[in-house]
Amino acid sequence: MKTSDLGTALGYEPVQQDYTDREISSGYTSDLLSDVMANAAENCVLVTIQAHKNTIAVSSMAGISAIVICNSRPLPEDMIQAAAGEQIALFLTEKNQFTVSGEIYNRLKTE
Amino acid sequence: MPWFRADLHLHSCLSPCGDLECSPSAIAATAKERGIALAALTDHNSALNCPAFAEACRRNRVAALFGMEVTSREEVHLLCLFETVAQALEMGQVLYAALANIPNRPETFGDQVYVDIDEVILGTVDKHLTAAVSYSADEINDLVLARGGLFIPAHIDRAVTSMQSQLGFLPEGNYHAVEVLRSPCSLDTGGYTQICDSDAHFLDDIASRWFEFEADVPDFSGLKEALARGAIRLSIDW
Repeated sequence: MKTSDLGTALGYEPVQQDYTDREISSGYTSDLLSDVMANAAENCVLVTIQAHKNTIAVSSMAGISAIVICNSRPLPEDMIQAAAGEQIALFLTEKNQFTVSGEIYNRLKTE
Repeated sequence: MPWFRADLHLHSCLSPCGDLECSPSAIAATAKERGIALAALTDHNSALNCPAFAEACRRNRVAALFGMEVTSREEVHLLCLFETVAQALEMGQVLYAALANIPNRPETFGDQVYVDIDEVILGTVDKHLTAAVSYSADEINDLVLARGGLFIPAHIDRAVTSMQSQLGFLPEGNYHAVEVLRSPCSLDTGGYTQICDSDAHFLDDIASRWFEFEADVPDFSGLKEALARGAIRLSIDW
């Protein structure tokens, strides 16, 4: 799955498209950024409701390619700018973390 | 210059997790007994017990600061301290409007009552006060600075609701200090001045941790200057 498939195939709203369209091979779902930093794999997609710029800082350190923000959480402008600066793709959806995780898991499994 | 002992993280009966015996009057009297020169009332996301706390501290001859422990959208706890009750109450209104609309269930979470100097209940707060506000830690930092207050990330090395637990690191900010539980702190404190406080939810715990600061007078300005100079010594280092 490519990063852009999160938008084109799974229908999440692309918020920040200034990124390299890398291959995504896994996902990680968590709302504790210390946990994300410790356990998320490189080049994964992060599924979370933590909509603030520190999520970008942690994702950058962990080498995360894309973030899907769930439950239509409002995205602050400084988060979107930070994502652009770090070349991390940012998507928004009204679905919750459980549903999004299932959708991404199924998509990755069929590849 | 003299050194003054401070405990700037105290909860009252307004915090759902705070003991009902923690009235502002009882807190001020206990702080006095335990040698605290400067005390701050910091209930979760609310300053509604600060008017009674101000009067109680005056009667006990304890200098006081007024504020709250805010839960940011990252669910990080942040101490916001002001020189006057009016500043704290105004900040409290801004926070309450931004607080998640989760009704408090006293039988589950505990009571949220605000009282007068004689411990007469003046009212209860509807929304659950330990929930998160919609502002990020950065935004709360800005709100506090705009109001001339002190901004201090709380217990940054705690296992829950801390910079360490929620973010895994201490981001840069306009912090007047950071509050730590242990010394040396397990989290990189980035060179910010460190303080430690009791975070008391029960009268018995008041001044179980404290710090001392060097100043002419134990007031807001004296504390602010001492924090900037790093003229601080921690009980957990003794």
